[in-house]
Amino acid sequence: MPPDRKTPPMTENGLIRCQNLWKVYGADVGALRGLTPDAARARIAASEGWLTALGDVTLEVARGEVFVIMGLSGSGKSTLVRCMTGLAAPTLGDLMIDGVNLRGIDPALLIEMRRHKISMVFQDFALLPHLNVRDNIAFPLRVQGIPRARREELADRLIQTVGLGGRATHFPKELSGGQQQRVGIARSLITEPEIWFLDEPFSALDPLIRDEMQGELLRLQASLQKTIVFITHDFDEAIRIADRIAIMHNGRVVQIDTPERLVLAPADDYVAAFTRKIPRARVLRVASVQAPASERAAGAPVSAAALVGDVAARVLASETPIPVADGAGRIVGSLDRRTVIETVFSGASA
Amino acid sequence: MMRVAATGSGRAVWPLLAGIALLLAGLALAAGLPDWARRLPADWQVDAAGTLNSFFSWLSRKAHVGPLAVKDITRALGTAVELPLDLVRGLLAGGFRLRLGGMRLEMAPLPWWALTAVWTLAAHRISGRGGAALVLGSCLYFLLFGLWEPAMFTLASVALSVLVGAGLGLLLGAWAWRWPRLDAVLTVLYDIMQTLPVFSYLVPILLFFGFGPVAALIATVIYAMPPMARNTTLALRRLPQSVEDLATMTGCTPRQRQWLVLLPAARQGLLTGLNQVIMLSLSAVIIASIIGAGGLGNDVLQGLKSMRLGRAFEAGLGITLLAIVLDRMSRAYALHRPRHGRPGRPARLLLGTFGFLLLALLAGQFLPVLRDFPPALTVSTGKMLDDAVAWINLAWQGPIAALSDGTVRYLLRPLKELLLALPWLGVTAGAALLAAALQGPRLALVCAALLSLPALTGYWDQAMISLYLALVSTLIAMVLGLPVGLLAGQRPRLDRVVTAVIDTLQTLPTFVYLIPVVMLFGLGDFPAMMAIVLYALPPAIRYAKDGVARVPPKLIEAADMAGCTPRQRLWLVQVPQALPELMLGLNQTLLMAFGMLVITALVGTRGLEQEALVAVSKAKVGEGLIAGLGISVLSILADRLITAASQRLRQRLGQG
Ligand SMILES: Nc1ncnc2c1ncn2[C@@H]1O[C@H](COP(=O)(O)OP(=O)(O)OP(=O)(O)O)[C@@H](O)[C@H]1O
Ligand SMILES: [Mg+2]
Repeated sequence: MPPDRKTPPMTENGLIRCQNLWKVYGADVGALRGLTPDAARARIAASEGWLTALGDVTLEVARGEVFVIMGLSGSGKSTLVRCMTGLAAPTLGDLMIDGVNLRGIDPALLIEMRRHKISMVFQDFALLPHLNVRDNIAFPLRVQGIPRARREELADRLIQTVGLGGRATHFPKELSGGQQQRVGIARSLITEPEIWFLDEPFSALDPLIRDEMQGELLRLQASLQKTIVFITHDFDEAIRIADRIAIMHNGRVVQIDTPERLVLAPADDYVAAFTRKIPRARVLRVASVQAPASERAAGAPVSAAALVGDVAARVLASETPIPVADGAGRIVGSLDRRTVIETVFSGASA
Repeated sequence: MMRVAATGSGRAVWPLLAGIALLLAGLALAAGLPDWARRLPADWQVDAAGTLNSFFSWLSRKAHVGPLAVKDITRALGTAVELPLDLVRGLLAGGFRLRLGGMRLEMAPLPWWALTAVWTLAAHRISGRGGAALVLGSCLYFLLFGLWEPAMFTLASVALSVLVGAGLGLLLGAWAWRWPRLDAVLTVLYDIMQTLPVFSYLVPILLFFGFGPVAALIATVIYAMPPMARNTTLALRRLPQSVEDLATMTGCTPRQRQWLVLLPAARQGLLTGLNQVIMLSLSAVIIASIIGAGGLGNDVLQGLKSMRLGRAFEAGLGITLLAIVLDRMSRAYALHRPRHGRPGRPARLLLGTFGFLLLALLAGQFLPVLRDFPPALTVSTGKMLDDAVAWINLAWQGPIAALSDGTVRYLLRPLKELLLALPWLGVTAGAALLAAALQGPRLALVCAALLSLPALTGYWDQAMISLYLALVSTLIAMVLGLPVGLLAGQRPRLDRVVTAVIDTLQTLPTFVYLIPVVMLFGLGDFPAMMAIVLYALPPAIRYAKDGVARVPPKLIEAADMAGCTPRQRLWLVQVPQALPELMLGLNQTLLMAFGMLVITALVGTRGLEQEALVAVSKAKVGEGLIAGLGISVLSILADRLITAASQRLRQRLGQG
């Protein structure tokens, strides 16, 4: 069961802020530099053969938030994250990490930031083949020049955390995909980063291990309070971990919202089609589907913030509707069988 | 099968080819051709050699870079190379002679037993018992046949040139990876360096560094470095983007990025390059014996010159052993994947080895018993072998002479005369037309420009002689190699034997091939051809074999289901499908033929390669370079044309 969800964070003072971000691939896109935003936009629209990987993306990620990016293949998810980490320079627009603009940032400061503040887990693991598990995990510290004894001590602790005890001296080629990704995760955590970027970290893993790793991620997030930007293709994964989800389509961010709002109030047909397959009972909260408080309701109340799916069994077993209580224990509504059945089956039948 | 039948876009090519052949023949026979179209008259030719000669003589005598004379710079460079070379040579064999004031100090080299022990143990670590036995056996061979010292000289030169070549290659390869424009330039340069006969650049090197091991070492590095650079660039390019991103995201400095992430991650490709550098270095060090590199190559050369073929044979066998050992060890090391449970840091082992060698060195100084291999134990079959060769030549004189004379009379000479009779303009135009038909006007232009070089510089006849020898040898190698390859491609057991044989053949330095053919056939075009055929055979076999083996199983099944007999299946399905691969094989075979052709100058051929060799002995830089460039031009041309043809074929077969 997912831990308590935070309310959607305020979008002032985001830790990561993208302001009208464009990333265009093609021959001589350098010509765009120096144009006014409007002129540049017109130029991009007029150019054939250019590929707009990111088009006018504006968004903020709050401190401590789990921010999930979804979209079809080629919709620009990786490009967005590569811009956020400074791996790719945006063609236009600004990107601020904790108030620091990445454009024109002092290279030394950027290196410093990557060494301590942000880190990344790669889709294809990117383990170094010549280093064993321990050395791979300790690699970021080696880059920082931390003495061997110290970094190995820290690495050994993380090896335990990700459940690779006893494999410290194995080489990547000797590990399964799931084990390799654990190494990648441990490596990205060893610098104790504030912001953690994960680009489809679990898509190469089988469902069982994926499930286990998601649990681990949530546990880590609960105990370490990191800000997480997470790319995935998988809705189950997204709704399990996300505070908010950004849906991308052809380089544009179409909607950013909680899973529940995406389902209840899709911004356009694309999002509606995209979210149709989501099992409603797993994203909708009782408060969104409840009926007004009713005389007939009986029994112990359920919480308004609970997911419909989590209380479904109780409602279905009861003859009468069940009262709904808010956080303070006041009765604010009621939930009957019919509503629950409709919620559970509406997603699947669409 | 369907695809083979549907010729489609490629159909237009073959009539054109026929047309070109007709054109060539017509040009050759047309009586009305003006003289200049047959051969350029001398006063139309460009004296490129003379110009180059005066340029190099200016460079070596008068040129200055800033306040420094070029000759002083090269002299300093020579000394810088000479010091480590002397050190390694002295340690492995030969020892040191120092003069301190009036005192003369003599120091013995590392004793044979210590080196043998260390190498055998190292081989055991790298490739197990088999490797250890091979190394021990080779050491014993050198010791017993009195070849220890030359073998160690050769090894010292190889070691140093590998060190320099690999380092330089790594650097250039990494730069080329970072700056694609540099890569384009370097690739052309490497193409020329690798096709230019060694003899050609020996001359300028001689000019600057004088006769001896230093010049030899520099020539060796030039010859052996390119594959390292190419492999480095390739290996870096093949790294997944995420490895680079990892370096960035962990906050690597540029240097950390290079040395901690990129190069180690590309290790496998780099080691493949290293293997090639080692093998080419050995090959070049042997050839460089003609400019005084010494070592085993010198023994072979002296043996061949004085017709003490037994001695040459023993030294040649020594080279062969050295080649096999070096190839096997470096390959095993390259294939070696890190595994857990192996001690990761062999620092203690290295320290122990070092200590042992130091002790052995000291022991060698004071205890003569421990210094030299007991001479009483050495043997030589040289005399016996000489006698055997004499006997074979006597007993089989009839058949050998018949084979040799017959081939020369009915194959070699007619072909040579045909090529020599062709007008340069006809050949050039024909090649250009062919290129245009195969790929387009650009390649045609390149062809025409390349072929005018020997015509304009007055080396046309020699170029045709080189071409004829390369072509005829390639033809024979293909005729011999194809059936073997096709058979092996279908029979896994035969395949294993054939692969083992051609793998070994391919590790041997070019020079070694001269020994048996000279023993049996003496000097001239026929032995040269035999050596070239032997050397060029492996790719002919290998590509045929792999081409057939790689035909998709579903096509084979389709053929079987259509009721093909095995023979029909081979000719109707497998061979047509494997054609592009066979073309690549032809290309490789021809390139190898050119590679060997260069060396056959030593057994008295008459083409460009001979001009290059003569230039070495007369120290004529210009002539050597121009003749060498001629060979370069021919092989690059052949390569481009065959590659274009093979691409066409591939398209036609729908293989992308
Ligand atoms: N270096 C590049 N040069 C040119 N085009 C690029 C480059 N990198 C990405 N693109 C293009 O930008 C678009 C967005 O790519 P991106 O990798 O961000 O997609 P994605 O959403 O991460 O897809 P996936 O789910 O397949 O990983 C794609 O059309 C891609 O081809
Ligand atoms: Mg992606």
